[in-house]
Amino acid sequence: MNGKTALITGASSGFGREFAKLFAQDGYNLVLVARQQEVLQQLSDELTQAHGINATVLAKDLAQPDAADQIYLECQQQGIQVDVLVNDAGLSEYGKFVESDLRKELDTIQVNVTSLVYLTKLFLRDMVARNEGKILQLGSTLSLIPTPLMAVYGATKAFVLSFTEALQNELNDTNVTLTILMPGAADTDFFNKAGAEDTKVYQDTKLSKPEDVARDGYEGLMSGVPRVVSGFKNKVQAVGAGMLPGSLMAAAMRDLMEPYDPDAERKKKITQYTIAGVVAAGVLTWLALGRNRRSDWN
Amino acid sequence: MKINGQTALITGASSGIGYELARCFAQDGYNLVLVSRNTDRLNEIANEFTQQYGLGKVTVVGADLAQPDAPQRVYNEMNNQGIRVNVLVNDAGFGEYGMFATETDLQKELSMIQTNVTALVHLTKLFLRDMTTRNEGKILMLASVASVLPNPLMAVYGATKAFILSFSEALRNELKDTDITVTALMPGATNTDFFNRAGADGTVAHKQAMKTDAADVARDGYEALMSGKDKVVSGMMNKAQVAMSRVMPDPFITANVRKQMARPSNGNGQHEKEGKKQMATTGSLVGAVLILGIVALAYYNKARYTDFKLSDLHL
Ligand SMILES: NC(=O)c1ccc[n+]([C@@H]2O[C@H](COP(=O)([O-])OP(=O)(O)OC[C@H]3O[C@@H](n4cnc5c(N)ncnc54)[C@H](OP(=O)(O)O)[C@@H]3O)[C@@H](O)[C@H]2O)c1
Ligand SMILES: NC(=O)c1ccc[n+]([C@@H]2O[C@H](COP(=O)([O-])OP(=O)(O)OC[C@H]3O[C@@H](n4cnc5c(N)ncnc54)[C@H](OP(=O)(O)O)[C@@H]3O)[C@@H](O)[C@H]2O)c1
Repeated sequence: MNGKTALITGASSGFGREFAKLFAQDGYNLVLVARQQEVLQQLSDELTQAHGINATVLAKDLAQPDAADQIYLECQQQGIQVDVLVNDAGLSEYGKFVESDLRKELDTIQVNVTSLVYLTKLFLRDMVARNEGKILQLGSTLSLIPTPLMAVYGATKAFVLSFTEALQNELNDTNVTLTILMPGAADTDFFNKAGAEDTKVYQDTKLSKPEDVARDGYEGLMSGVPRVVSGFKNKVQAVGAGMLPGSLMAAAMRDLMEPYDPDAERKKKITQYTIAGVVAAGVLTWLALGRNRRSDWN
Repeated sequence: MKINGQTALITGASSGIGYELARCFAQDGYNLVLVSRNTDRLNEIANEFTQQYGLGKVTVVGADLAQPDAPQRVYNEMNNQGIRVNVLVNDAGFGEYGMFATETDLQKELSMIQTNVTALVHLTKLFLRDMTTRNEGKILMLASVASVLPNPLMAVYGATKAFILSFSEALRNELKDTDITVTALMPGATNTDFFNRAGADGTVAHKQAMKTDAADVARDGYEALMSGKDKVVSGMMNKAQVAMSRVMPDPFITANVRKQMARPSNGNGQHEKEGKKQMATTGSLVGAVLILGIVALAYYNKARYTDFKLSDLHL
């Protein structure tokens, strides 16, 4: 036990759940926030028993404008000082913007952006007053890439990156650190909830494991690193995305966000291999003929 | 004189860039729908344009876009009046200046997110649906150079603008097979009421803003919108700064913006000097990467016209 407390939003699933385990292992007390009360309670029971820590469950819907305020108040009333804030709760909606569900998109903005700013404000104030504290923000590789078919979601993650980088600068002279974790596509419930389980990115690319991503984020947070891109492929992508034009990145992302069609993909690959084969054969023939001709001359 | 029968709806038409954008449309004979809170001012503007250009019909709609139901109300009002919106200009927006942890006003920042982000998404949804049914329409989004430069001392504002650019670029891609275009206008510091309203008066950026006319910025945006371009950075120095942001590390970029956001206080000589020094550093920095910027832009322009597919990378 280290006597410190970490508040984790989105602790009922995915990365958030993994963060809760990591903090508990290191002896942090926990405040677990999400909507699913029973799931949180179970996790809380598990972790308090296994690691002898204290845990508080706050079932809140962060799509409600006053949720952040309530969370802060309850912490105050229970005399809990939050030393680490993890803004993990987030969601998305899949589909062409003109057809996608407005209500879900407004919730996405409220949870991913507004509540994140609100919670950061309330807890950061106290951290700065104490001149100690740590905050982890969940960005994404999509923070750098406009995301067709998840246009609002990608934009919320671009918001989180810009916001976090500005705050990192503002907090330069303090002992409070902010870290942004930027995962690529990972195998959590995220895609199912977004209605994006049929996409190429979910079906046909190698997904990160939530426990690996959370571990990377946790270590970055603890050492106060500004930005953690989890996974080698994603690191390469992030470097590229920083330099390439948005329209280009958007086109690339569009391809990954389209529904996965195994037949079409197979055909595409066959075509690609065929082209490669024909080119190779051509080159070989040319080389062979060139040799022959040369030998003729000799 | 041309009357073109089309209608442009402009949020934030009561002041600054939105007002100048409205003028561009008025000059080209568009019918106008002017939206903002200050209906007195909007009515004045309606009279001014009608007298000066006398072409299209001007409708004034009072709305506080920080209210969640405002976009739907504006949309309903258009339907009630039988107005078809051919061009949507999402201009209304504001900032809040200060250190996020200790100085800025949370309520103002929440209203800002609602206005700059949520209302923009909501209005776009409502009007884009109808544009898609007709397969015709144009949308202009007020982004900013702050869309690509994290903005210390206006951390929330900069992030709202990063949101807008990402959203616009994604949307543009989704609409590429339609006749609907989405254009992002990215101004740098511009001489409007923006800095006063944000409480950022007297900053280096505010001083820089004095040199850039809202009318010029609006003109750049209008032309880009009309020709269906994906985005336009207004002003040479701003173009360079945006290009620079692609190749420089973020903390460096951010620190540089921080200097622009500083307030050389009290007209005190020492501070004035410091302000000048900061401006000079910024200036020379921008100058030094100007060539880099031009190269980057040239590359960008080339890249825009090639139809890029991820599968190209697999080969
Ligand atoms: N998975 C990926 O590929 C990926 C990649 C990059 C970034 N991310 C980001 O990682 C974060 C966590 O996502 P995940 O992948 O772990 O997804 P997940 O398994 O779906 O978990 C999402 C978590 O957010 C909570 N949440 C959602 N809406 C909420 C609301 N209205 N109020 C309170 N809590 C809410 C959920 O709890 P309840 O349902 O119990 O409320 C859940 O605990 C998100 O910010 C996401 O954007 C994910
Ligand atoms: N000036 C710059 O340096 C600069 C640079 C880059 C981008 N921009 C962007 O350009 C856009 C226009 O700003 P500006 O420079 O022209 O500033 P401005 O002169 O202050 O005008 C702002 C406009 O937005 C409207 N507005 C603000 N809050 C509103 C609300 N809650 N509901 C409805 N309308 C609201 C205002 O109308 P009412 O007060 O009548 O409601 C006004 O018409 C903004 O999106 C801004 O972010 C400005």
